[in-house]
Amino acid sequence: MSGNSLVLPIVLWGRTAPTHCISSLLVMDDFSTIITGCHDGQICLWDMTPELEICPRAMLFGHTSSITCLSKASACSDKQYMVSASESGEMCLWDVNDGRCIEFTKLACAHVDIQFYQFTVGTQKEGRLLCNGHYPEILVVDSTSLEVLYSLVSKICPDWISSMSIIRSHRTQEDTVVAVSVTGILKVWIITAEVSRMQDLDPVFEEESKPIYCQGCQSISFCTYTQSSLLVVCSNYWRVLDAGDYSVLCSVSSENDQSWAGGQFISADRVLIWTEDGCSYIYKLPASCVSASEHFRSDVGKTQDGSVPPLVYSIADRSDKQLFICPPLLICPPVTRFFFGRREPFHKLLIQGDSAGRLSLWSIPDTCSEQPQTTTVWSSISLQEAFDKLVPVSAGIIDQLSVLPGKDQPIKVTASVYIPSQGRLVCGREDGSIILVPATQTAIVQLLQGEHMLRRGWPPHRTLRGHRNKVTCVLYPYQVSPRYDQRSLVSGGVDFSVIVWDIFTGEMKHIFCVHGGEISQLIVPPENCSTRVQHCVCSVASDHSVGLLSLRERKCIMLASRHLFPIQVIKWRPADDYLVVGCSDGSVYVWQMDTGALDRCVMGITAVEILNACDEVAPSTVDALSHSAVNLKQAMTRRSLAALKNMATHKLQTLATNLLATDNADKGNLPKYSHNALVVQAMKTNVTDPDMHILFFDVEAVIIQLLTEEAQRPNPTLVSPETLQKSQAGADKGGSFLANKIFKQVKETMKETIKEHLLDEDEEEEEEQRRREEKSKSLSLLEYNLTMDTAKLFMSCLHAWGLNLQLDNICMDRLGMLRPHCPISFGLISRGGHMSLMLPTFKVCVWSALSGSVESRKLSLSDIVGKGTYGVSRAVTTHTCCLSSHWPTL
Amino acid sequence: MLNPQRSLSEGPTMSAASQVERTVLEEEFNWLLKEEVHAVLKQLQDVLKEASRRFSMPSPGLESQLKQENFILGSSTMDQVKGVLTLQGEVLTQADINLKVAKSSQVLHFQFREDKQWKLQQIQDARNHVNQALLLLSSRDSSYHFKTGAEVNKLMDAVMLQLTRARNRLTTPASLTLPELATSGLMKMFSPPMPGDVMVNFYINLSKLCLTVYQLHVLPPNTTKNFKPAGSSVLHNPGAMFELNNNRFEVSHVHKVECVVPWLNDTLVFFTISLQLCQQLKDKISVFSSFWNYRPF
Repeated sequence: MSGNSLVLPIVLWGRTAPTHCISSLLVMDDFSTIITGCHDGQICLWDMTPELEICPRAMLFGHTSSITCLSKASACSDKQYMVSASESGEMCLWDVNDGRCIEFTKLACAHVDIQFYQFTVGTQKEGRLLCNGHYPEILVVDSTSLEVLYSLVSKICPDWISSMSIIRSHRTQEDTVVAVSVTGILKVWIITAEVSRMQDLDPVFEEESKPIYCQGCQSISFCTYTQSSLLVVCSNYWRVLDAGDYSVLCSVSSENDQSWAGGQFISADRVLIWTEDGCSYIYKLPASCVSASEHFRSDVGKTQDGSVPPLVYSIADRSDKQLFICPPLLICPPVTRFFFGRREPFHKLLIQGDSAGRLSLWSIPDTCSEQPQTTTVWSSISLQEAFDKLVPVSAGIIDQLSVLPGKDQPIKVTASVYIPSQGRLVCGREDGSIILVPATQTAIVQLLQGEHMLRRGWPPHRTLRGHRNKVTCVLYPYQVSPRYDQRSLVSGGVDFSVIVWDIFTGEMKHIFCVHGGEISQLIVPPENCSTRVQHCVCSVASDHSVGLLSLRERKCIMLASRHLFPIQVIKWRPADDYLVVGCSDGSVYVWQMDTGALDRCVMGITAVEILNACDEVAPSTVDALSHSAVNLKQAMTRRSLAALKNMATHKLQTLATNLLATDNADKGNLPKYSHNALVVQAMKTNVTDPDMHILFFDVEAVIIQLLTEEAQRPNPTLVSPETLQKSQAGADKGGSFLANKIFKQVKETMKETIKEHLLDEDEEEEEEQRRREEKSKSLSLLEYNLTMDTAKLFMSCLHAWGLNLQLDNICMDRLGMLRPHCPISFGLISRGGHMSLMLPTFKVCVWSALSGSVESRKLSLSDIVGKGTYGVSRAVTTHTCCLSSHWPTL
Repeated sequence: MLNPQRSLSEGPTMSAASQVERTVLEEEFNWLLKEEVHAVLKQLQDVLKEASRRFSMPSPGLESQLKQENFILGSSTMDQVKGVLTLQGEVLTQADINLKVAKSSQVLHFQFREDKQWKLQQIQDARNHVNQALLLLSSRDSSYHFKTGAEVNKLMDAVMLQLTRARNRLTTPASLTLPELATSGLMKMFSPPMPGDVMVNFYINLSKLCLTVYQLHVLPPNTTKNFKPAGSSVLHNPGAMFELNNNRFEVSHVHKVECVVPWLNDTLVFFTISLQLCQQLKDKISVFSSFWNYRPF
């Protein structure tokens, strides 16, 4: 798979860590990795040392909505897999070591909990994932293919399963699934070997069904120590039940309007229970609950007051928080989980993740004292703290241009668009200014060391001032369709205004003030709209209004407002002159663009049908907000906030298909983006976050562009494609398939440029003249060699610095490559547009891993750079070699 | 005191707002968090409790005490199909279907078998989603002090997700393919058993209990007709084709009859009201967003 990955992402995270409101937690069996899922759909991998130091390593992108649960998905330690599920029914299988997505699927229903279990099938053990959620069955899913194998169904009072637990009885050698439904009925399924072997979707009915009268069950867990009791935690009380006949052994109610959120046995006679607001308590169970005791079951049937177990330990989370000078306010309840190591060093860990992206660890003591005690947090770190500790700080794409005198935080970039044809990045910032800057040059400043570090205000840039406060979206319409003026740049802000700029002169052309709320999105209407609409951009604002702003007429030709709910999707029916607005509550409004009349407002199936019909009519006009069929070109131009949230899957999916699947060596069908060696994609995980930027290097395109430029230089021996073929054949020894393909593309590109050139000279001479004048007018943005800069940046980032001093010197002196400031955060694109991005803090993880063997002082920064690079360079080796072989000749 | 429209119009001039204005805004925002939010949450809870009551959750062991309601499903324009369904909570306990076959003018009569019941999953899901929303709301009672607008938004997002799902479950019935329908347990529930050329489906659409009856005819294997299996749909049209056990079928007649379930209509109204309450609260919070995100430059 990695052999095909011609696209290599490099991330510039900036100083602000992405919002990570933790929704689920998992510790891998070897206690070296913690995994957290967040409400925005990202997954964070944290490395943990045996001393329980934690440090964030990578972030996984791919889910479109909140992560509901995480589970390990493999039993052996050599391949560590985990599975994640989201609110929208997606399931992904990930490799924990490199963050690769191995498998993914989508079901109509959302899982709430997944548990991994190995069922014995004959002599073999088969990994299975048992899922429960917003459906009345327990689905049994294969842990490698993510296919649903069969389901556990209830005959009596079937209802949603709120919690389940799996045990293996030593007595009968059978696997038993015990679950509690939302109506408080306990159900037991027995998985026999025959059941596990079943291939078809025959349902398995429950063995036993018994009402235990518990409403709002939060968790159910078995005592693995004695196998004779069961802990049921409901929001109002927790109970220990006899695992044999499910009679209540003891019951403890919650106090002070706290509600219990979960619990587990930590030894045969002690339970750990935690509340919804993050406090945890350890209770010592009375003798009547402990099967080893002679008093076991002595209290059954008596009044429950007699058996309240004493509190022996409280893990006071609230007082811990006072340790921080300014605790970030939590916006939702934290997630608490307990994990115990089955191998050395046998940690018993209580872990909590909160809405501020903070992980807190408590090591649960084994000693048992009689007096209630409190324990303090063992280790605690938030994503932002990890970012703050970094030296040098994690770079943002235009940090050097954004630091104001007297302030240490740079002005945040809140919206950006990359214009590949000009190699320029447009960054809207929170102070209302917009910066235009050559993308490669600013990336070089951020990533590499060199003489540019001494120049102030480098690279040359242009600032557009006009918005009064935060810029929320930027759009360059010409990039989507050539029908627009190539000088126009459109931006929207929180000041309710949409501004049209002349990108070459920096002049403000027009301000539209038609909305009554912050502008959230700017969209380009599809090709086949009426001519009037074709010269409009569509703006969406947070007051739930949509406007069609004509750039040519400089007026708003239609304003569709008064939608009751936020706008989620905009679709078009150009043939009928309809603008279709989908709102977040599922209602659909159909507006006539010409007259501005509301044609229909519908809900339910009709609404779904109308939205789907738009897709059928014009698949290319689908909006990126909630549907996946978006082509990259549009995706690149839609900087909308909501769209960015979804970008993780949808846009990357298209990026992956457009960029990775170039294998169909169809010449006429060469993807447009092979011309862009570099694509800068801004991304944010949460609407409130500043932009982070990912540089996607298309290795193949870098090579093609280098070769094309080389061939176009006035060197008589290299001008014709035929001679190029000879020289190339020599360089590549035997001409691999890839080399041939690249060569073909080079030839095509050359032909195209020659054609364009001729066209320009013959027919559009005047136009060309005008363009040249414009270009010379854009004084501050100097001409520079985009291809060479891209290649230089790419090679400098990719080279494994510090492994071979001699080679390093050659690279610097002869090839003009530059050393990175700090380890570079690479990414890995895997199937289905899933992506893993290294966090800037990954080097700390590498550092601690290495420092065990090497003297830490001797370990230079560049060693880490080298180590970090090693993993990715394998993936691109062939292309790098190809590239390197041509490098000296340039 | 709080007038969103007025505050909204102050938005653009925020950066130029005077100190006095900012103090007033801050006071207004504090009032919103302290008073208004709880008032809305209270109202929401009342509405949702009312909705939840309509679903009449069975208490374990007492299922039989639930009220049984009979619904007569028919249509004024055609009388080929008539159904009498008995709904007890979320379960169809009895069904009587009369089907008049056009060509033979013979009336077929089907009933649920004594031992069989059919659960309407849509109703159960909607009920569970409402209860989850209520659970979320009850965790933040009037003694709770909201500190940020983000906190309120987060709660509202969670509640709205449940409510949207609850409503969607009722407004968008599952779309099935014809083979899925043919092999579903529903076909085996009747006495006398359904003949091979008749299929039925029950579902909820908005507040209506719907019954669809498909009459099929087998396509001869050497037919000249283009065979194209139909995709999944809530309601298939005559002419839709499918293949099952190596036999090809075509839908010849479709009969759809329905009847309004009054309490489902109530719940839908409650869902809509509470969703709007949630959104209005979010909109009120967002009026101040520029205030708490404000940073002078």
